[in-house]
Amino acid sequence: MDETSVSSQAQETQDDSEKKDVQKGMYMTFKSGNEYFGLKIQYVSEIIQFQAITAIPETEDYIKGLINLRGKVIPVIDVRLRFRQEPFEYDDRTCIIVLNVRSMLIGLIVEQIAEVVNIAEDSILPPPTIGRTDKAHSKYVYGIGKVGNSVKLLLDPDKLLNDDDLTAVEQTDDMTSEEE
Amino acid sequence: MAEEFSTDGMLDIYLFENEQLLEQLQDMVLEQKDADCFDEDSINEIFRTMHTIKGSSGIMMFDNITAVSHKLEDVFYYLRESKPHHVPHLELVEHVLEVQDFISNEMEKIRNGDPADGDASGIIADLDKFLEGIKKAEEGEGTEPVPENVHEEPKQFYIAPVATSASRFYKIYITFYPETEMSNVHAYKTVYALKEVAEDILYYPEDIISDEKSAEVIMEDGFKILLQAQCSEEEIRDIIGLGYDIKKVDVFECKAEEFLQGFDFGGQQAQIDLESSVEDIEARAQEKEEAKEEAQEEKKAEKPKIAPGDFVIKSKEPGKQKKLAKDKPKAEKASFISVNVSKMDQLMELIGELVISESVVLQNPDLKVPGLNLNSFNKAASQLSKISTDLQNVIMSMRMVPLTNTFQKMNRIVFDVSRKLGKDIEFEMVGEHTEVDKNIIEHISDPLMHLVRNAVDHGIETNAERAESGKPDKGKVTLSARTEAGKVWISVEDNGKGLDREKILAKARKQGILDSNKLDSEYTNKEVYQFITLPGFSTNEQVTEYSGRGVGMDVVVQNIQQIGGTLDIESSPGNGSIMSLKIPLTLAIIDGIVMETGNSSFVMETGVIKEFVRVKEDMMVDEPDGDEYIMIRGECFPVIRLGKWYGLTDYVQSIEDGIMLILEVEEKKVCLFVDKLVGEQEIVVKPIPSYIKKVKGLSGCTQLGDGSIALILDAAGLVE
Repeated sequence: MDETSVSSQAQETQDDSEKKDVQKGMYMTFKSGNEYFGLKIQYVSEIIQFQAITAIPETEDYIKGLINLRGKVIPVIDVRLRFRQEPFEYDDRTCIIVLNVRSMLIGLIVEQIAEVVNIAEDSILPPPTIGRTDKAHSKYVYGIGKVGNSVKLLLDPDKLLNDDDLTAVEQTDDMTSEEE
Repeated sequence: MAEEFSTDGMLDIYLFENEQLLEQLQDMVLEQKDADCFDEDSINEIFRTMHTIKGSSGIMMFDNITAVSHKLEDVFYYLRESKPHHVPHLELVEHVLEVQDFISNEMEKIRNGDPADGDASGIIADLDKFLEGIKKAEEGEGTEPVPENVHEEPKQFYIAPVATSASRFYKIYITFYPETEMSNVHAYKTVYALKEVAEDILYYPEDIISDEKSAEVIMEDGFKILLQAQCSEEEIRDIIGLGYDIKKVDVFECKAEEFLQGFDFGGQQAQIDLESSVEDIEARAQEKEEAKEEAQEEKKAEKPKIAPGDFVIKSKEPGKQKKLAKDKPKAEKASFISVNVSKMDQLMELIGELVISESVVLQNPDLKVPGLNLNSFNKAASQLSKISTDLQNVIMSMRMVPLTNTFQKMNRIVFDVSRKLGKDIEFEMVGEHTEVDKNIIEHISDPLMHLVRNAVDHGIETNAERAESGKPDKGKVTLSARTEAGKVWISVEDNGKGLDREKILAKARKQGILDSNKLDSEYTNKEVYQFITLPGFSTNEQVTEYSGRGVGMDVVVQNIQQIGGTLDIESSPGNGSIMSLKIPLTLAIIDGIVMETGNSSFVMETGVIKEFVRVKEDMMVDEPDGDEYIMIRGECFPVIRLGKWYGLTDYVQSIEDGIMLILEVEEKKVCLFVDKLVGEQEIVVKPIPSYIKKVKGLSGCTQLGDGSIALILDAAGLVE
């Protein structure tokens, strides 16, 4: 009994490392506004249906509140509000992507889940810097991935979650660049 | 679990075990710090502890720890063997504590993954000097090498379990077949079997394991056992059992006195007549009693040599019973396993989850269909509820830990500080077995340390001052704990000089805290004493090593408030002061009132809510700047509208449609206006994820019966 459990564990760790290799270059993509965004798949813990959110007062507007994920209380943020886009109505198709970033669980409310795609490293370009301040480099879009003819904006979850880079100026900046 | 076989696992065990050993060591040493010398028990125990630590550290290759423990072991070996008369006891205590500190320190380094690189040479040199000192004092004292000790019968003993009225005493004689080989081993087998039922067991010959000659004695005289147990003669016979080796077993019940008298196999060891009646044997025992002193004399002469490393205790009192040393020298010991705290937390979480899903099932709307026969369902449901409640109670009790360890640490602090300051201080602990949630214990350790230190440093006067004011020479610090009304009360009491009201007032005035319109006499003592908990407030003229920098009491209060506790100060000039902490028993589950405002649910701890009132519009008083007050029965309270406070939407506007809660925190009262009350329930407190910045007035969140999340309101935060 013991032996089997040990060996199965060993198997698992092997599987894990294999999985990591398999996961490399895989991106979970979702649609927000008119754009498609991508997140490295190893950050994604699960995708759940939209559920009731308990609002928390006195927080940033994009932090929608807390949900109960099987007994764990996790915060959720609205991606569209985070991107300073117009808010949208939540409906049955709205999903919450649960991310595990540095062993912290956080839910992202997105309009629509797209697909999991493979993006080779050489088809990822740095975001264009024209018209942007230096600070904009450290923003949550760290690259632009080409998949066939379409483009996915690749997100850095760490920066997506932590909001110390958005000033009013950048915000208008954002709006215009995203409208383009 | 593969990782448990790695050296990490070994290291963990090493650290864990040694930590416990050191803790026991410290407790023991401090317990006897006021005695003139260690008793033999303790000397042996310290020797053994050091021996164990030396051994395990050697295996783990922590050379400095090995060296230090070896040195202390040497010292105690000398104490044990030579029984020097002139041992500076306090100095010895300090040396032991020093070694304990050193090892703890090194272990801390090891735990943090740093190399254990502490320099032990200083301590070793000190110990060497100390040992030399004792040896010299001993030699100078006289040439007589304490002969009677050398010839003392080796006595192994342990604290005998107290005989209950149900205990019975037996004398057992076993005769083996003459052709039995290695009868001592057979005898041991019997003893081993009897240990299962024995409360106490003695046997002769006692050295049946290592001394092969004992086999001959057994063959000649039979094997004799004195047994204290709660079973009948038949049961004993069953346990021993007649086999191919045992020819005959005689069991005689005897009285406790005879039992305590032990064996008397002196020089005139009589042939035990196995055929004789009980009365005869008793009569003989009487006879032997008289011959006892004589027997003692002869016994000394035939005493075997002690091999070094044999853990035996030499007793000074002649005639003391020989008792079998059990593995643990303590009275009954419950068996424990140590569990990773994270597993406990997980279990706790799961049980919380279970309770919630249980209510989801039992109150499922599907059950509300009319015409359903739910009889057997309800039966099953109530059984389920009972089990889940029990489960909850068990997990809660598992998290409860006695305060003993925390209190013992304080003992050490009192000792250290009072020694350094040259004050004679007695330390008393009351109710240290009071149990408190583990999380809380972690939070109160530091504040308590502060209070105790303050009591010793500021509270208790110097010896000279005490003599002057005609107080008893010894200062006394009492640390006590008790539970009352779901709270733990821990108080630190000293019989020192008490707080100086005038001094505090003067200082407060200097700092501009006092209201200039108020006379000094208008402040109550309580108010004045609360000043010392303000930041930067210290009336001590001199900053000492231990206190006086004015950071302290405010930190104490802060830490205590963090876990929902309060600090109460009482003092009477010249007679000392009492600092009492009032702390919730547990953080994890609280009784709360669930309420709704707007579309959100909130929970408030039941304890802070004084009253619920429906109010009328005309009771409200509005200030032009937007603040609101309410007059209730002639008292005026500030009003907080929860919906407005948090900028919620859709909350009840009219004061007559909602409900008013009167909250009281630290004697401040405030009214909280909410839409409606939902009910009272036990709630499992969960922290708000750290991603969300701290919101004033919220202390956590919890899951309600329907799986939704409610925010827990922190009354203290609202009052501020």
